[in-house]
Amino acid sequence: MTKIFLLLNRNEKNSSIRPTLLLNKFEIVEAQNTLEDILSQIYNYIPDIVLIDSGINNCEFIIRQIKSGSKNRNTQIILLLNDNTGEFMNLADGLVEYPVKSDVLVSTINSHIKIKKSLDRLYENNKELSRSLYQLNVLYNTSSQFAGTLNTKKLYDIMTEAMEKTLSFDISCVLIFNSIGNPVFNLNTIHTPSQNLIDALKIRSFLSYKTISDDSGLFNNQSYDEVEIVQKVKQARSNRVYGLEAISFDSMFAPIKVGDDFFGVVELFRQTPFNSEDVTCFQAIAHQVALPLRSAKLYEEISVTNKKLEKLEKLKSEFVSIVSHELRTPLTPVNNSLEIVLSGQAGDITDDARNFITMAKRNIQRLSGIIEDLLDLSRIQTGKLDLKYKMADITPSLELLQKTYEQVANEKNIKINLDIKQKLPEIYVDLRRVEQILSNLVSNALKFTPQDGKINVSADITDASDIDKDRLIMPKIVPLGKYIKIAVEDTGIGIKEEDIPKIFDKFSQIESSLNRNKGGVGLGLTITKQLIDSHQGAIWVESVEQKGSTFTVILPFADNLKIFKMNLSRALINNDDVGILKFVYSADINLIDSLKEQKLLNLTRLSGEAEIKSDDKIQYYVFIPKITLESFLAVYNTIYEYISKLPRGCDIILSKAHSSKDGADVEKIIAVLDDQGNTI
Amino acid sequence: MKKILIVDDENDIVETLSFMLKAKGFECICAYDGEMGLNMAKNEHPDLVILDVMMPKINGYKICRLLKFDTKYKNIPIIMITARSQDEDKLIGEETGADEYITKPFEFSEVLEKINKYLA
Repeated sequence: MTKIFLLLNRNEKNSSIRPTLLLNKFEIVEAQNTLEDILSQIYNYIPDIVLIDSGINNCEFIIRQIKSGSKNRNTQIILLLNDNTGEFMNLADGLVEYPVKSDVLVSTINSHIKIKKSLDRLYENNKELSRSLYQLNVLYNTSSQFAGTLNTKKLYDIMTEAMEKTLSFDISCVLIFNSIGNPVFNLNTIHTPSQNLIDALKIRSFLSYKTISDDSGLFNNQSYDEVEIVQKVKQARSNRVYGLEAISFDSMFAPIKVGDDFFGVVELFRQTPFNSEDVTCFQAIAHQVALPLRSAKLYEEISVTNKKLEKLEKLKSEFVSIVSHELRTPLTPVNNSLEIVLSGQAGDITDDARNFITMAKRNIQRLSGIIEDLLDLSRIQTGKLDLKYKMADITPSLELLQKTYEQVANEKNIKINLDIKQKLPEIYVDLRRVEQILSNLVSNALKFTPQDGKINVSADITDASDIDKDRLIMPKIVPLGKYIKIAVEDTGIGIKEEDIPKIFDKFSQIESSLNRNKGGVGLGLTITKQLIDSHQGAIWVESVEQKGSTFTVILPFADNLKIFKMNLSRALINNDDVGILKFVYSADINLIDSLKEQKLLNLTRLSGEAEIKSDDKIQYYVFIPKITLESFLAVYNTIYEYISKLPRGCDIILSKAHSSKDGADVEKIIAVLDDQGNTI
Repeated sequence: MKKILIVDDENDIVETLSFMLKAKGFECICAYDGEMGLNMAKNEHPDLVILDVMMPKINGYKICRLLKFDTKYKNIPIIMITARSQDEDKLIGEETGADEYITKPFEFSEVLEKINKYLA
C-alpha cells in the first residue's frame, strides 16, 4: 500500500483531500506539530509520497531534509501551491494548485508512485550492478593471483581473502587434502568460535565431503580426529563469541574439484542472507581455486618425491664411494703377494704358475680400474669432481694416446693412426680429464675392433654451424662458435642406431652386440659423457653395424666458452681483494641446501649466505676472497650443474657487488644466464 | 742399512710390503696402529715412514702433521698410502706436509721408485 505523509494545514481548503486519499486506499500519516517530531516521523515512517502545503512553517527546510536523507532518497514530494509560493517550488517533484481537484490530485499521486517505484528499482539494480562489478573485479584479481603460485597455503589465503572481500562472511570453513593426502580444516572467522562450534563445523565439512565423494574419495581411511585444524580469527580481541547458533546463519557450500579429482569442500556462513549474485561469485571462486590447488598439490608431491630421490641418489653415491675404498684395501695385499711370488723371492715358480699369476695380476688391475671408474662416477654425481681448468694444448695428449695403446694395439695387429689436420689452439680444460675422455674412447675402440682392424684418431677445428645438432647425445649445450673436434673412428662391430643413446647409460653394454668377454662394466662412456658436459662440450656417434663406429667429441674454444667470454674482465675491473659474487635465482630453495649439504662450497673454498627475498626468489651471495677465473668458474659450474637438473626453468643473474667509498653497494652485472646456462 | 717404518693397521699389507723391502735390502720396522706408529717414528729413528691414512687411534694425517710440524722429525720423508684418489688427498696432504702419495692397490715398483727418490 502506498504510504502518504500529509503536511497540511487543517483548514477548509483542504477538507476534501483526506477523504479522496482514503477513498483511493492510500495509507495516510498526519504530521505532528513540532518540527522535531515531523523529521523523526519522516525518518521512521519512510513515506512513498509526501504531500506538503507550501504554506506550512519551515516548508522549504522540511523538503530539503527529506531530499538529503539516504532512506528517503526516492520519496516523491508533491507541493500544494499557495499564493505565497516561494522559490523553493522547484525543489518539489510535483505541483498541485489550489483549489485542489480530486482527480488531478489522485492522478498526480499515482504517476509519482510510478516514478518512485521505477526509481527504487533503478537504485536497487544499480546497487547490485556495482556490487557485481566489485565481485567481478576481485575475481579477476584473484584469478591472476591464483595463477602465480604453487603453494597450497598461499592459494588458500588468496581464496579466503577473495571471499572475505566479495562475500563478507562471518565464518568460512575449507577442508582441503594436502599433498600427502591428509585433510586440513581451515577455519576463518571474524569473532572467536566456541569449541563446540569448531567441532560441529569440522564434522559438518567432513560429512559434506563424505556425502559428495560417494565413499570413493580420499577420506575413507581417515577418521575425523586426524583432521588437522588451522584456525584464524580476524577480531580475536572482540568480546563476541560465535556459539552453535552460527550454524543457523545463511550458508553456501561448494566442492573443490577438478574433473573427478575431488579434494576439498568450502562452506561460508553469514548472518545476513546471501543473494543469487553471491552464490555465483562463491561458485566462481571455488571453481577458480580448484585447478591451481591441484597443480600445487601435484607440485608438492613431486617436490617431496624429488627430494627423496635426490637423497637416495646421494646415499647410493656415498655407498659406492665407501665400498670402493673398502675394496681397494684387501686388493692391495693380494696384489703384493702375487708380486712377491712372481718375483721369485718366495721360491722358484714354473712357467705355468707364472702365466696364471700374471693373469691374476692383470685382473686385479682391471678390478681396480673398475673401482676407479665407480669412484669417478660417484664423484661426478655428487658434484665432488674438482676440475682444474687451465689453458692447455691438447696435441701432446693426443700423441701420448698413440703411445699408451701401442702395445695393446700390436697384440691385435690394429693400427692406430693419428691425424691432426691443423694446428690446434690452446683451450680451457682440465687436461688430465681430457686425457681420460680420449683414452676411454680409444680403449673402447680397441675393445670392440677385431684383429687386423684400424683406428683413426683425428683432430680438427670446426664451427657450430657445421655440426648436426640432432645427432648430439643428450646435449647440455647449444653449440655456438668454434670448437676443437676430435673423432675416434674404428673398424669394429658397430652399434645399432637405436642403441646409441643407451651406451651412455650406467652399466650398459648392449646385450646383442657386445658380449661380456669384452670386459668393463660400461661406466667408461657414462663418465666420458659427464666429463664432456663439464667442459661444455658435446659428443655424437655415427655407426654402421659390422663396419665400425665413429665417436666425435667437440670441446669449445676458450673465447667461445661462455664463462671465459665473460672472463671477468668486467668483474675484475677494480681488482678488489674481496669480491662478492651475487646471483639471483628464481626457482628453488633446495639449490642452496643441496650446495651446502654436498659441501661444494667448501670444496671450492667459498662461503656464502642465502638470502630469501621473496617466496620464490633467492638472492645468493658468494664471497670470494679474491675473484679469479678459477674461483668464478667453480661457482659458475656449480650453479650451472644444478640448474640443468632442476625441473623449472629459471634465470640467473650473476653480478659482482662491492662497497663503494660512500658506503653504497655498487653492483655490476656480469651476466644473465638462462636455464641452459646461455648468456642473455 | 736404511731403516723404513711401515705403519698400517692391515697386517697383510705390512707383511707383504716389509717382505719386499727387506728383499731390496732395507731394514723394516712395523707398527699396527697410529699410536704405535707415532712412538716408533719418534724413538726408532727411521729414515723414511710409509703411513696408511685410515687407522684406529690416530689417523695417518694426524701423525704426519705431528711429525712434520716438529723440528726434530720434520726431515723424515713420509709416503702416505691412501684408498682414496690422490686428488682428494692432495688437498689435505698439502696441509699435513706429506711428501708422497700412493693409491691402493699399488705396484711394488711404484713404491720402490718413490722410496729411492729419498733414500738413494
